[in-house]
Amino acid sequence: MSDVIGIVNYGVAGNIHSIKKAVEKAGGQVLVLNEVNDFSKVDKLILPGVGSFKDAMQELEKGGFISPLEEVMHSLPTLGICLGMQILALLGFEYGKTKGLGVVHAEVKPMLVDAAVPHMGFNSIDVIKPNQLLKGLDNEQFYFMHSYEMVNYTDISALTEYAEHQFVSAIHMGHIFGVQFHPEKSREAGIALFENFVGL
Amino acid sequence: MTTRIIVKLDIKPPFVVKPVHFEGLRKIGVPSDLARKYYKQGADEVYYIDIVASLYQREVLFDEVENVANELFIPLAVGGGVRSIDDFSNLFHRGADKVVVNTYAVQDDANLINQAAKTFGNQAVVVNIEAKRWGNHWECYTDCGRIQSGKDVVEWAKEIEQRGAGEILLQSVDTDGRQRGFDIDLAKQVVESVNIPVVVASGAGSIEDIKTLIKEVSPSGVAIASLFHYDRLTVTDLKESLRENGIEVSE
Repeated sequence: MSDVIGIVNYGVAGNIHSIKKAVEKAGGQVLVLNEVNDFSKVDKLILPGVGSFKDAMQELEKGGFISPLEEVMHSLPTLGICLGMQILALLGFEYGKTKGLGVVHAEVKPMLVDAAVPHMGFNSIDVIKPNQLLKGLDNEQFYFMHSYEMVNYTDISALTEYAEHQFVSAIHMGHIFGVQFHPEKSREAGIALFENFVGL
Repeated sequence: MTTRIIVKLDIKPPFVVKPVHFEGLRKIGVPSDLARKYYKQGADEVYYIDIVASLYQREVLFDEVENVANELFIPLAVGGGVRSIDDFSNLFHRGADKVVVNTYAVQDDANLINQAAKTFGNQAVVVNIEAKRWGNHWECYTDCGRIQSGKDVVEWAKEIEQRGAGEILLQSVDTDGRQRGFDIDLAKQVVESVNIPVVVASGAGSIEDIKTLIKEVSPSGVAIASLFHYDRLTVTDLKESLRENGIEVSE
């Protein structure tokens, strides 16, 4: 039996559909986690996210997800995608200051760049600290769609440059991973990333 | 940063159709087949626009959207008849990554843009502008260029950015489907008036047209329909040619 990968389903806007398809394409077995009781049935977690930092945290709280999530994230390999990575931070500044899950010592701030925001489209990642998740993916292109970025100094695994502005595109702390881009929307490179996650 | 090469599927369920001047529909094929074909050719993104939903005052057909989403590991933007937060939510759950709104926001209630941006994040909210030239300015139209709104395109573009839209799909009623080049003046004015990404559609008739647009306007993306639909050009060949001309596109 291969590991079961749980995708946390919270809020009105989860892009669960695409992530589920991509993980399955990568050979993973998926369980969509609609309630806290399901958390015990999975071996790994994916934290998706579409929406704003504030709404995401409110939805997690409404569903009673926060402390069970914090609990399982002590041991389960976890991948945060886009906003799912951002809410791992201590604080977010989208629609006011909001407390995040606080797993990563980071803050989430608006991108200040001399170009169109949201940063939208395919861009490459520069892996500065290799790990299992990003194995074989240095300089690959992934799809980004975001207006905020994670500000962190200690757990960066990849950086990306947009209009001469460098920002954190992937983080890694032990068994916790986060990517700012959308691997589920990034063709073969994205599937390869999920293969790496399935194989962890 | 790469310029996005986007395929636009204009849908009159159950077919992808090709409107000329937003009228005179021709059947092209089945949406999921075409989406798969363009994905394999290397398209960066697909825009799925149900061009009759608003006119018939019905919702986008969700099963159709899901069929298309199932084929793609690239972003899918879906529009047509979107008028509520529930419509946004349903489309995201069926596999849309962005939702495109036009008629309701222009004619009825622009606050839908604010609400959607706050709920789903501005990156997920696209506003479709159908522009028609009147002398030296442009006016917003809706319902596939049928209904005039009285709103000035550049003013509206600025307003929707303020309201939280994350992207503009800029179409021209005058040049759409004619394959005789883009309305470069229009594209330039809109791109220079806002700080959000603009995807320019309507008019690609040759690789040359696309190069000219990218070089003169630097839009975030180019949306192409006819040129691909009639197999006069593949996405692969277009990207190759753009690269040879020093224009960055994704691998």
